Amino acid sequence: MTDQTPNSTEGQGIAGHGSFFQQTDLSAEEAVRATDWVRKHVDRRTVDLGDRMDDVREHMYELEKEGEIIIHRITDDHEPISVKTMFGWDKKVPTKQLWHHKSCGQCGNIPGYPTSIIWFMNEFGFVPGKDYLDETDQTSCTAWNYHGSGIGNVEALAAVFLRNFHQAYVSGKQHGFELGHFFPLVHCGTSFGNYKEIRKYLVESAELREKVTKILGKLGRLVDGKLVIPEEIIHYSEWVHVMRNRIASDLQKIDVSNIRATSHVACHYYKMVHEDAVYDPTVLGGNRTAIITSVAQALGAQVIDYSTWYDCCGFGFRHIISEREFTRSFTMDRKIRVAREEANADVMLANDTGCVTTMDKNQWIGRAHDKNFSIPIMADVQFAALACGADPFKIVQLQWHASPCEDLVEKMGISWSEAKSTFQEYLKEVEAGNIEYLYNPELAYGGKA
Amino acid sequence: MQQIYDDIRGDFRYDHELNGCLNCGICTATCPSAQFYDYSPREIVQLLWTENVEQIYDAMQEKIWACAQCMTCAARCPFKNSPGGLVAIMREVAIKHEMQSAKDVLRPFGRVMLKLITTGNQLSPDMIQPDHFPDWGPNIQKVEGDLLTLRKAIPVKTLQTVETAWEVSLKTSVEMYTIWEMTGVLDSLELMDENLFDVIEDFIDEKREDYEDWLEEQEEEDDD
Repeated sequence: MTDQTPNSTEGQGIAGHGSFFQQTDLSAEEAVRATDWVRKHVDRRTVDLGDRMDDVREHMYELEKEGEIIIHRITDDHEPISVKTMFGWDKKVPTKQLWHHKSCGQCGNIPGYPTSIIWFMNEFGFVPGKDYLDETDQTSCTAWNYHGSGIGNVEALAAVFLRNFHQAYVSGKQHGFELGHFFPLVHCGTSFGNYKEIRKYLVESAELREKVTKILGKLGRLVDGKLVIPEEIIHYSEWVHVMRNRIASDLQKIDVSNIRATSHVACHYYKMVHEDAVYDPTVLGGNRTAIITSVAQALGAQVIDYSTWYDCCGFGFRHIISEREFTRSFTMDRKIRVAREEANADVMLANDTGCVTTMDKNQWIGRAHDKNFSIPIMADVQFAALACGADPFKIVQLQWHASPCEDLVEKMGISWSEAKSTFQEYLKEVEAGNIEYLYNPELAYGGKA
Repeated sequence: MQQIYDDIRGDFRYDHELNGCLNCGICTATCPSAQFYDYSPREIVQLLWTENVEQIYDAMQEKIWACAQCMTCAARCPFKNSPGGLVAIMREVAIKHEMQSAKDVLRPFGRVMLKLITTGNQLSPDMIQPDHFPDWGPNIQKVEGDLLTLRKAIPVKTLQTVETAWEVSLKTSVEMYTIWEMTGVLDSLELMDENLFDVIEDFIDEKREDYEDWLEEQEEEDDD
């Protein structure tokens, strides 16, 4: 007679698993060991999954050996710090001699984010024009338009990528440095994802390389007849990540342990070409990409989780322009409300122009639907700059943010009203032509810093 | 219809983006657009995987434009499919075939496209004003002051601009126009919106003339 106890595996299986199901009959100790293995290797996005995918850099080195491309290398002069990516690869993040590749959304809309990055570089004693460069000879990556409209193609995106990064490669020359002195630091999450995707296609497709070589040749942007491709694509938040302990130990002036911080990482940072995103087992157990959270932790803020951390912000590329009801519904219902109700967050930190724009600008209209909740939203580097004593207006440029930043700033012990009145006085100076600079691009032509 | 499908399948990215499908639906479960539109990335993969040409055509009439291109689907797919990547290919093909859906959907995007194609920047300070984005609230800036003064108060010189996000040199813009032309981007634009194309072409011609004049001035200065 068949045993009908709940552990029976004969004929019918257990709890609907089917007839093939068999009990493992593991001892308690074995079960713990097996569960630990699953937790380590499957549940977590740990840093030991490297054999799952080819490393594009290996193929780049081969192409370089065959004389097809020139790799813009990260050298010791760039003072790199090594981090682990999702698949356990080592990624060198240069800390100096950086070419700021700006973001077309961020600079127009959230200027305090590039300003804060440059402010930090100055605070570390970096010399403008030697340790970093901010120049007008760059276009946006144009991927926002491509993802929004479909007008464009891989060839155009590749040509823009190679044009901009060729400029980064040769940019040191006019300052008396060698080729490759400045290494590109990409400010935008979409540019970061797009450039990595395009680099992969360029490495894989001889046909694409041939097509864009003609274009780059016409533009005079080949070196020895070859395409220049950077060894790594580096996002600004990776620079902040590797500098976080120096920021906290050398520059932090304000105790932020009373601040409840949530994070939102840009989709195009870690979901697009995800094998290259930075993970650290000491940050949320390596279950999520380390950037943003790691900086908030290093500064001593309370990092609070919320259930929709994986959701995108609702930007949608086209949607934020022409279907804003989708964008604002998504951002309010899936992000702002959840971070408010579950985490009671004082701030949400992000690392991309699109996300900050979307979640910052779309809170006001929520009140029309009785969505009376809000959270200040800013880039990780802006929050870090505030914690290091940067002026909320002159440097962090919070005046461009539509979300209410006032309470956060006050909670950090900074007087919003005083800072505002100082800034309004400064605006009179600006009108009189007395303008302050962190950096002057005319340095390249013998101008003063 | 078959040609449309062949063009999608002929894209060199196609085999990167479509490997198979378990129908597990994790892509749709994590898709932001699936929560607000009649859109499912799983459906897109299934249509292409099973070569359902008629329904692929139907999906291109509307559904593909719902995708937010966040690529959450791609990061989650156990088969390493990229439904969002497939949508990008389908959008390009929809434009190539002058599908009405593409024209209708992209019309409100035209102003941004004008800015992008002519300046290389997408969203500039002069666009981010209450008139253009009334739902962003009355106080887009938290301090009083005209836009140019507020921009000049940003302590980075390349950002002290109003019509572009940052100042882009003339030579850089002209190089970008060459890329648009040589890669057929301007042709795609002409198929979608002839009026916008004409405006952009005039702008590009003017900028190129400015650049030629500038080059001549430089030569004259060198001769002196």
